[in-house]
Amino acid sequence: MAATDATTSHVIARIAAALLGGYAFTWGLIALGMAGLFALGMPFHDAEHLSSMLALLAYLGVFCWAFAARSLPRVWAVLAGGGVLMAAAASLIQHMLV
Amino acid sequence: MRDALLLLGAMAASVAGMGWLALAMDVHWEQVCGETPRSPALVRGLRILGGAALALSLALCLAVDHPSMASLVWVMSLAAGALAVVFTLSWRARWLRVLLAGLPRRAGS
Amino acid sequence: MFQNFRLAMAWLHTWFGLVLGFVLMAVFFFGALSVFDREIDRWAIPESRFEPQPMPSFDKVLRPVFESMQPRPESVATLRGEVNGPIPERFDIVRRWGAYTTHRDPVLNMFAGYEVPNAKDPEKTVWGSRTIDPRNGRSLPDDQLKIGSQFFYPLHYSLNFHWLDLGYWIVGLAALIMLVALVTGVIMHRKIFREFFTFRPAKHIQRSTLDLHNLTGVLALPFHFFFAFTGLVIFAGLYFPVAHSQLEPLHELHEKLEAEETGLPEDRAGVPAPLASVDAMVAEAQRRWAAQGMSGDVGFLAVQHVGDANGYVSIYRAGTDRIALTSNGIHFKASTGEVLREDPPPSAVDRVAEFLTGLHLQHFRHWLLRWLYVLGGLTGCVCIATGLIFFVEKRKRQHARQGSQGARVADALAVTTITGMLLAALGMMIANRLLPQAMPAGWPGRGDLEEYVFWASWLLAMAHAFWRSPPVAQGRLSPAWGEQCWAVCALSVAAVLLNWITTGDHLLRTVAEGYWPVAGVDLFLLASAALAATAARRLARVARAVPAMQPGGKPEAAHA
Repeated sequence: MAATDATTSHVIARIAAALLGGYAFTWGLIALGMAGLFALGMPFHDAEHLSSMLALLAYLGVFCWAFAARSLPRVWAVLAGGGVLMAAAASLIQHMLV
Repeated sequence: MRDALLLLGAMAASVAGMGWLALAMDVHWEQVCGETPRSPALVRGLRILGGAALALSLALCLAVDHPSMASLVWVMSLAAGALAVVFTLSWRARWLRVLLAGLPRRAGS
Repeated sequence: MFQNFRLAMAWLHTWFGLVLGFVLMAVFFFGALSVFDREIDRWAIPESRFEPQPMPSFDKVLRPVFESMQPRPESVATLRGEVNGPIPERFDIVRRWGAYTTHRDPVLNMFAGYEVPNAKDPEKTVWGSRTIDPRNGRSLPDDQLKIGSQFFYPLHYSLNFHWLDLGYWIVGLAALIMLVALVTGVIMHRKIFREFFTFRPAKHIQRSTLDLHNLTGVLALPFHFFFAFTGLVIFAGLYFPVAHSQLEPLHELHEKLEAEETGLPEDRAGVPAPLASVDAMVAEAQRRWAAQGMSGDVGFLAVQHVGDANGYVSIYRAGTDRIALTSNGIHFKASTGEVLREDPPPSAVDRVAEFLTGLHLQHFRHWLLRWLYVLGGLTGCVCIATGLIFFVEKRKRQHARQGSQGARVADALAVTTITGMLLAALGMMIANRLLPQAMPAGWPGRGDLEEYVFWASWLLAMAHAFWRSPPVAQGRLSPAWGEQCWAVCALSVAAVLLNWITTGDHLLRTVAEGYWPVAGVDLFLLASAALAATAARRLARVARAVPAMQPGGKPEAAHA
């Protein structure tokens, strides 16, 4: 099963992107989901449960995508970058409510 | 007692349903019946019978339990039924002939 | 990194499956055993071999026990460095009392959480627990380990590895990878429908192993997917503690609003107050449930802010007839017994969440579904085990030719996590029967010793597996497989015999009396012995047939 440019450091970088970038993305999604749905009137724990369930499925998806995608920099940008943006948006919403 | 019998029925229906669906496939028909030829009508019939048995199994599960529980029992019975059919096909394929009881000898009609 | 999508998914499946597969073997196996964890407890603690009891009278049976409880030494030990001044000797302000029972448990579990005076963090709590015989309130000795519910069960979600909660994180990662393996497996398996019923045991080992791996994965796919997914959902708050970190202010806001809305006070008032008759509250709760057409027993009972004017009693119905966990909670003012709140019907999201967690945690009463769960769990074990074996078989001859040790190491680890794991569990159960009831002074507790035997047995099995592994480097079968299978057979039978000798509860008696918890464990052990013996005999036949390979590629003549 040949990988193309599979130097050890590239493989490690992919795994890091999938695990850590994926984690950041999932965190951001949960935070934004919780804050956003709560702001829209959903009970807090409902927002928490719904966001967790959907975000865990998203983690599964982005984890696989991290290995299928051609461009590793793009994976980092979407996962880590997206995660940070979503988390920031969540904190912004929290700031407006509290 | 009634519940136990209904659930036994559901399990049996799942096994039979999976068996009929397997027999609808050429490779497994050959394992069970050898080179006996068969018509497309028979293949279709086996599939319909298989589906019907699985539907009956669901109905029996729903007759016993709350739907949330019955749906789980049914899904698990499908897995158990399929496993039973797989291992019967591998080691005692002829036992599945019981699912073809009542069919004419030459199953071409 | 890969030429195409399918190759990427295959790589992912193979390498992450291999590494986390070793962890997943333990998770699935001990998860499968946990379906009957309380029955295993009965086997391990003969004093508890009686019929399940309903929740007894709080006022007459539970309250005296609660009032005599103090936190466990292990819990108090965690206060080191967390208190201003010396660690307190007694803990008298009780945050919460709780008692719960299940339809499978003869004994009742009780716990109490205590405030810590002078603690640096005012929320810090220490915990005590007790297990009692509900018929008379007598406590079971503290060092009796409930091998099922307190060892095998936590092992499956935390590997009993609590340092920095690492065990939880490793299992969490394994669960995520299980989902990845299922999805990537489906993507790789081109003939998923055509080969749905295909198992060819007579073909060469790679083909038959792969057939078994595919079919155990596909036929129980909904089971494997839902259990891995719901496992992650259950611990989502631990893996992603958003509400207690980034969004803590939002959480506090919600708690304040909820306390106002529900009328259940968050904090103590600081004013002492007596506790009214809890039995009367239980009767009222049952009356209200029956009026809604949902009559039932009490599953969980808790008293919050014990001894305080703000105290309240929460009573939950045992949810044995449906999948969702507990429900229909009713809350009473502790000092007067008036109803403060009946929990409203769950929201749609609540119902989905309760269904998903309830599906995994199995508080329901349904013996067929439980056995089907065990079948699902063991099917998962076969899927993972055949995956590991296929990995080794595929590379064994190539590695032998190249002089590489890779396949050998992977094979020895496979032996360790498959047969070795069984030997660890059996060793523990045998120690349980052989250790004296009360350990001599200065010795570790009985339960602790049983745990040491578990880990020691596993290590011994691993040492044996590696010691016997050289043939794998020549492309042959390791004798460790067959030898450990025979050991599993012998130890399983020994465990059943020891149960008879040490308790008198032999199979003829337990089956005749219909005491299924113990009979079931014994029968399961005997079935395992038979399976292990069959496997060992087959392996001996296979081993005789395979010639060794030397580095360089020439097979030696087969040895007898």
